[in-house]
Order: sequence, then C-alpha cells, then structure tokens
Amino acid sequence: MTEAAEPVVSVSGVSKRYGATWALREVTLEIGPGEIVGLIGTNGAGKSTLIKVLSGAAQPTSGTMRLDGRAVRHAGPLDALAAGVQTVHQNIDDGVVFGTTVAENLTLDSLSRKGAGWFTTRARTNAEAREVAAAVRLDAPLDAPVETLSASDRQRIVIARAVSRRPRLLILDEPTSTLSTVEAGLLLDIVKEMAAAGVAVLYVSHRLAEIEDLCHRVVVLRDGRVRRTFAAPVDRTAVVEAMLGDLAHAGPVDGAGSRAVADQAATPVLVAAGVRTRPGGEPFDVEVRPGEILGVVGLVGSGKTELLEQFYGARPLQSGGLLLDGLPYRPRDPHAAVKAGVAFAAEERSAQAIVPGWSVRAHVTLPRLRQHSRSGLLSRRSEYGSAAAVIERFGVRGPGVDAPIETLSGGNQQKVVVGRWLEASPRLLILDEPFRGVDVGARADIGRTLAEHSAGMGVIVASSDPQEVVELAGRILVLHEGNLAGEIRAGDATAGRLATLMSGAAA
Amino acid sequence: MTAQETSVPSPSAGPQEAPVAARVPERVAAAARRFGLVVLLIVLLPVFAALNPAFATYGNSMIVLQSVAVVGVVALGVTVSMTTGGFDLSAGACVGFVVMVTALTMVRFNLTGGTAIAVGLAAGLVVAAVNVLLTVVAKVPDLVATLGTMFLFQGLALIVTSGQSVSAGMTVAGAPAPGRYTEGFVWLGGGTVASVPVPVIVFAVLAAAVYVFLNHTRWGRALYAIGGNAEAARLAGVRVARYRALAYAISGLCAALGGILLSARLGRGDVGAGDPYLLQSVAAALIGFAVLGANRPNALGTVVGALFIGVLINGLTMLNAPYYTQTFVQGALLVGALVLSYTGRRERSDR
Repeated sequence: MTEAAEPVVSVSGVSKRYGATWALREVTLEIGPGEIVGLIGTNGAGKSTLIKVLSGAAQPTSGTMRLDGRAVRHAGPLDALAAGVQTVHQNIDDGVVFGTTVAENLTLDSLSRKGAGWFTTRARTNAEAREVAAAVRLDAPLDAPVETLSASDRQRIVIARAVSRRPRLLILDEPTSTLSTVEAGLLLDIVKEMAAAGVAVLYVSHRLAEIEDLCHRVVVLRDGRVRRTFAAPVDRTAVVEAMLGDLAHAGPVDGAGSRAVADQAATPVLVAAGVRTRPGGEPFDVEVRPGEILGVVGLVGSGKTELLEQFYGARPLQSGGLLLDGLPYRPRDPHAAVKAGVAFAAEERSAQAIVPGWSVRAHVTLPRLRQHSRSGLLSRRSEYGSAAAVIERFGVRGPGVDAPIETLSGGNQQKVVVGRWLEASPRLLILDEPFRGVDVGARADIGRTLAEHSAGMGVIVASSDPQEVVELAGRILVLHEGNLAGEIRAGDATAGRLATLMSGAAA
Repeated sequence: MTAQETSVPSPSAGPQEAPVAARVPERVAAAARRFGLVVLLIVLLPVFAALNPAFATYGNSMIVLQSVAVVGVVALGVTVSMTTGGFDLSAGACVGFVVMVTALTMVRFNLTGGTAIAVGLAAGLVVAAVNVLLTVVAKVPDLVATLGTMFLFQGLALIVTSGQSVSAGMTVAGAPAPGRYTEGFVWLGGGTVASVPVPVIVFAVLAAAVYVFLNHTRWGRALYAIGGNAEAARLAGVRVARYRALAYAISGLCAALGGILLSARLGRGDVGAGDPYLLQSVAAALIGFAVLGANRPNALGTVVGALFIGVLINGLTMLNAPYYTQTFVQGALLVGALVLSYTGRRERSDR
C-alpha cells in the first residue's frame, strides 16, 4: 500500500435513512489498493447498511461514492458487480448450490456469461473449475457433491468465485463466524494474499483477534456514524471502547436502584454450577438471587444465547447442573422450563416470538393457554384481561388488543413479547437482547416495568450493548469467546473496564 | 441489523397510521377476496334453479348434501392436518383402506357392525401413526412423507383383499364368505333421521366440533401457532411434536370416519373406492383458505369449499354436462380459490 495511490473506493458523506431512522450518517471512508480495512460496530451500528450501499443492495439517501476515482451510483447489486465490487455474505450456504458438484459451483458464473455456449461438458467445466480453485488453494475433489465439503471449503468456493471475477473491492461480511480457529487462519492467509495482489478489502468481523492480525486500519461505526479510525497496530480495548461509547452513568432507572441489592440470605432462584457455553469451553458458575437482575454482556459470538438457552431447555445442557429454588432442575424442553417457572424472551423477535397475523391478545396468552381455558374452551374474558394488563403495565401504544401485532412499532411489539412472560409471574425471567431494534422510549418503559414488577423473581438480561444492561442490573457477567471473562458490580462498571473484559484483553 | 425494524424514536408516536381511506379499487379487491366465494355460491344457487327447476327441491338438496358429506368429513381432517403447516396426502388412501377393512370385518370375519366401526377407526389411527413416524420422528417433509403413506395403504388395501372387491357371498378359499354388511352399519350410509341422511348429520356435527376445537380451545390455538411460526410456538412452551402428532391423528380419524360412511353407503368393499376423495377433500380445504379472508385452513371455509364443489357438480350434472368434465371444473374452482387466497397476501404482512 502506497500513500500516493488513488483510493479504490472512496465514500464521502454517505447517509441512509429508513423511515424516520438514520442508519448511516455522513459516513466517509477510503480504501486504497492492497489495503485491508476492518469495519466493526455493535448490532444496529450501521455495518450492514454500509455493506448494502457499497454492494448496490441499497441506495444512499445522500452522499457520493467513487470507484477508482469515477463517481458511481449503483442501481442494484448487478451494477456493483460490474463495477468490480464483490461481496461475500455471512451465510456461506447462500453462496453455494446444494446438490451440485464442487466444479459446477466453482463455474456457476460462466452460466450467465455471454458466449458461454449452449452445452456444458464435464471436461470444460473441470478445467475452468481448476483454474478458479487454484486462486484459493482449494484442493477438494471437483466431482464431489458440494454438501460433502466442510464449512471452510464451501466458504472457499464462494471466495474463489468472488476472486475469479477480479474484483477491485472485496467485502467480507463476518466470513469466519462459522469457522474453527484453524479454518479461519487459512482464510486470513488468502485474504492477505489477495490484498498483496492489489485488491482493496473491507473486512467485517466481531472477532477482534482477526481484525488485529489482518487489518491495516480499523473503522468503528456507532449509531450510523464513523466514531473512530485506528491505524495498525490496533489496541483492542480502545476499539471496543469506541464501539460501545461512553456509559451514561445517570444512575439506574427509577425503581431499579433498590434491585441492585439482592437478598443475600435467600435461596438463589438459579444456581448453575460448572456450565459451559459450548463444548470445550471453560466451565463456570452462575447464580441469580430472588429480586436480582443479573446482566450478561459480551460481543456477538461470545456465547450469551448458547448459555441462556440451556437454562430454558431450548438446547441441551453442555455440562454441570442446575438448581431452581434449591431443587434440581433439568428442563427437557421449553415446555418443561415454563412449567417449572422459567420464562425466556428470545433474541430474534420476528423469527422466534412473532406469529404472523396474530393479534396482540393471542401473543400475550400463547405461553399460558391452559390458564385461560374454562372447561376446555378458551375464555375471551380471561384472555382480554391478560392482554389489557400487559398493555397497561408496559404502556403498549397501538390500535388495541385485537390488532395484528405487526401493526405495532418494534418497541411496542417487544413490550408485548416481554410483558407476556411477566404476566405469568415466573421464578426466573431470561431476556436475550430484549432491546434490539427497540427505540429509547420503549427501552425505558420496559426497563422501568421490569424493575417494578419483578419483585422476588430472578431476572437475567443479556445484551451486546452494556449500556442497556448497566441501567438495569446489579451485577454483570462478561463473556468473551465462550468463556467467563469476569464479573463486575454495576456501580463499578466503567466503559474502560467493560471494554477490557469484553475484548478479552484481561486474559 | 435491520433498520426497518427500528421504530419511530419518539416515545409518543403510535403505530404508523393506515391511509384514512384505502383507494376504492383496493377495497373492492379486498372485499372480493373476503366474500367472493360465498357470494359466488349464493349466486350459483338461483342460477341453477332457474335453469332446471328440479335443482331447487328438498330431495335434490339432500342429494347434494349427501354427496358432499363424505368429502366434507375427510376434508375437515385434512384441514386440521394443515393447521400445523402439515399436509395429509394419505387421507384418500386411508378412506379406501378403511372401506376394505370394514367390509372384511363384517363379510370375511362375520363380526358385528360395531366391531367394524372400531376396527375402521383403529385403521385410521394406524395410518396416522405411520405419518407421525415419518414426519415427526424421521423428519421427512410432510408432503412427501404422506405421499409415501398414501402408496403404502393403497397397496395394503389391495393385499388384504387379494386385489378383489369384498361383498357378501364372495368366495374365500373355495367357500362362500360367512358374513354380510349388518343392517345397523348400512343405516350409517343410507338411513335418515327426520328425513335428513345420517352422513349429512355426521358431517354437520363433525364440522361444528372441528370449528370449536380449532377456534375456541387451547389445542386449536397451539396448532395454529405451530403453523404460523413453529419456533415461536416452541419457545413459548408449546410441545410441537405432540401437537403435530395430534393433528395427524385427527386427520386419520376423520378419514376413517369418511371411510366408514362410504363403506356403509356402498354396502361393499370396492377396490379404489377411496381414490377420488383425496383430490376433492384437499380442494375443499384449500378453497376454504379463501373464505372470509381467513388465509389459513379453517373449518367453516372447508365446509363452504365442500358445498361449493358439491353444488357445482350437481348443478352441472343436472344441466346435462357430461361426467367427464367434473374433474376439470373442480380444478378450475381450486385454481381460482388459490389465486384468491395467495395473491395480494403480501399486503397483510407489509409494515
């Protein structure tokens, strides 16, 4: 990389608005030939939107973009491809066609090339495939069905195709999220080689070690803006601090203050001894006392969901044992967990909680249909009572209990799917990323109501944004790459200490 | 991240308000989707009556209802199987299998009509058990799993009867079969109560029961939850596997009941008697999606769908349309209903 070289891609003052939300604001970014730039940020920081704008999947609301000095405006992904922008998306299997061979996958692009002829022959396909595969040193048998390959080899097929199109800019969106450490290492070598050949690379990842190893510069996005740019060698802790922003220490929300001090004498609601987030992880213990809100923070991929789902029977317990109110507890499935008094609001609202077309009322009562039955028939009165109570407590704003839940805003939908569990008065309430895609007002409403109405129960709130947790929790567990990195009292939590633990720099 | 999901940041903002008045053509289209089929059915009746006075008689109404009853009973079961997102393609084969099993029970083994009913219902549960093993336990996709079950039981019906029809006086191993259809059993197919045929009564009672089950019990609510979003249902504590099994069990029992009624009306075990019932019952259930804008399997819609098919075929027959046009007419009706319920569906889920 030479300082004088003209940047391959140059984005200046790009903003993107969705409805009333600015996903990107005045983003300016340059990547030179042979340069690898890391892009990092929490969920909702604007990474995906920036990738979409660069790859033509979305058009910027304002701002300009230049490729090799020429102003471009992609009308669609095909324009971006033609201009030399290649994107490898996070989900590997979106990039390969199952049921066909390795060779056929490697040569997919030639199917739509002009002058490719009407017929394909195996010999010609294989010859072409060999050429494409060589670029990424993939030596999988060409005639093997693509589904017999490892995730890492499938990934390399996708990248090989991207490289064979001789891109000027290569965008890699969390390419290692499903790969093992060794496989990821191979991938990083390939990326380095490509950069050495003059390709500009935008590398999006949550894995700080990779960013550190690979990138010449790191750009940190937060709330749609470029917050800081670091030149290599980067300081992980500083990067995470920039990602997370300052912790607003205005003190916990009303009512939560008293929650910070849990009853130390009482039997813990949950005792998890020797649990792991994943096989091979270091076992650790978790305890939640009655009246306590326990925070769990960690970057994407740190194992929060994997841990919490074990407490709810949604995935098998890796190791160790659980006690609920002092009694052995080993839920076979979520049904057993609900029966035992454990409630769980999942991370992905639309995929894991919303039933399309269903009313607010039906969403509220789904976990407790038995309680709303009178001699076998569902009681409308009982259902309405419950739904009205959730709406009242959480201040759900919307057209009413019978309206389809999709007609509510994201924040109000979240109030419904969290609030329905509080109605059940569980012993343990587990909330996984309860504030994702939720506006500030709704977040405050949910936090306040939780603090007020969870007396005597244990609550776990997990998030990749510590700000959301610091407001509510008394104690915070920090996870890093599947292991427990540390525990802090909310009062002692500073952006610096959290960033140190979340980035793994403490280890 | 999905910026579209981020709501309006102002805490006082309510949900986005719909345009005050949707444009007129849109409203007409919405009304057509909602009420189109019911209106068409109501319009068809006087048209057929005007073209042939014999259509609008009490006797003919009962003939239509009687012809609809077996299809309707089977279709109600298929409807329940569809609520979880499943699809019971084995229903028609189950009807045929039960026809043969009930005939054998009475004719070959000389047992009572009551025993035949019990054996028939048990046969329906066996079909359901195979479906459950394939879909819930072996995780084969519903459509192909039940297609396999369909072939299995069509074949099994042939094997147990050595490929022959079962009727009183048939020869078994050189001697005439000992039994025959009992009077009580035959009454199920041909009898009347207050001049209403028994199968029609069975259909009406079952329709009401399925309606209440699907719309007013927690079991029905759980089935629809699974069909809408199985993962959301699982995480809300619904035991998805059990409910999917329940759906197939109900479907199998309904098909068995249809088989019993058909066997009673035929008075013999005909090879291939159940064959037409798959397409007709699936068509009735799918047409039902479009009734009153439900856009999902529902008992009321299935009843309307079954009546629609019955009225149309009876009316056309009385207008001397040849029998071989029936399948085409049913196909056209099904295709039209599918367009009604699937096209423009997006509007509902748009933010």
